[in-house]
Amino acid sequence: MNPTIKKMVLDVLKPHEPPIYELASKLASLRGIDHVSISLAEIDQSTESIKISIDGSDINTDSVKHSLEELGAVIHSVDEVAVAKRTK
Amino acid sequence: MLEAIRRFRSHLKISGVSGISRRYFVMNFFDGAMTMLGVIVGAHTTGASDPRIVIGAGLGATVAMGMSGFSGAYLTERAERMRRLKGLKKAMLSDMRSSVHAKAAHAASLWAAFVDGISPALAAAIPMTPYALSLLHVISPEQALLASVALIMTTLFGLGAFLGRISKENVLISGLRMIIVGAATAFIVLVLRAIPA
Repeated sequence: MNPTIKKMVLDVLKPHEPPIYELASKLASLRGIDHVSISLAEIDQSTESIKISIDGSDINTDSVKHSLEELGAVIHSVDEVAVAKRTK
Repeated sequence: MLEAIRRFRSHLKISGVSGISRRYFVMNFFDGAMTMLGVIVGAHTTGASDPRIVIGAGLGATVAMGMSGFSGAYLTERAERMRRLKGLKKAMLSDMRSSVHAKAAHAASLWAAFVDGISPALAAAIPMTPYALSLLHVISPEQALLASVALIMTTLFGLGAFLGRISKENVLISGLRMIIVGAATAFIVLVLRAIPA
């Protein structure tokens, strides 16, 4: 049985646009993701540092990374991850 | 198609181009209207009131202003957007080549160019319509002159009212302000014509 990622917490750097609610909506629309929450950690003239918490049944890290890059964001670090065996 | 329009609008929102494109529209619409006012009043005071001459000169001015507006705005806006994108890449320590910001920069340049090109052309085309009617012998050249000047003043008033709405000032006063500028332009053209060569 392959393990699946159930939860991830990411430290992300993003430009001011698009706003975090658009980022959250984009991630929440991905397959395997049920819940996304984002909090603002720091802000400067050009960028914002945010904490993204993603919960789901089967999170695909490549899709998450690709979606963030499309919106101009960059993953600084993966701060937390929860993985479980895939249940039938 | 709808998805492409939605995406384009999203890019424009990200680029924040609405403010500058509003300014381009007002400035260039004003330019187009005033240019046509000068052409029409100048043509009549020199006796060149033949509708074909006015339409010919007007079309030339319309095309020139449209082309100049489009290309000038595109190159200017593109340079400005590239500068901003490079600053953002540096702040993000990322290439951002496939990001929405690179696409937004391109969309903003195109939109600004479109607005800058179409606005003077539109403003110049509107007062030419009475001359088109005159060419078809629906109205006389003198009536076309009066109708064109009236159309120009109406569009100037409309432009002033639009500005008044944006700045949340009295739209009537704002519109009248524009008409005064238009009337002053026509007066100066008449005065210059009256100066003996």
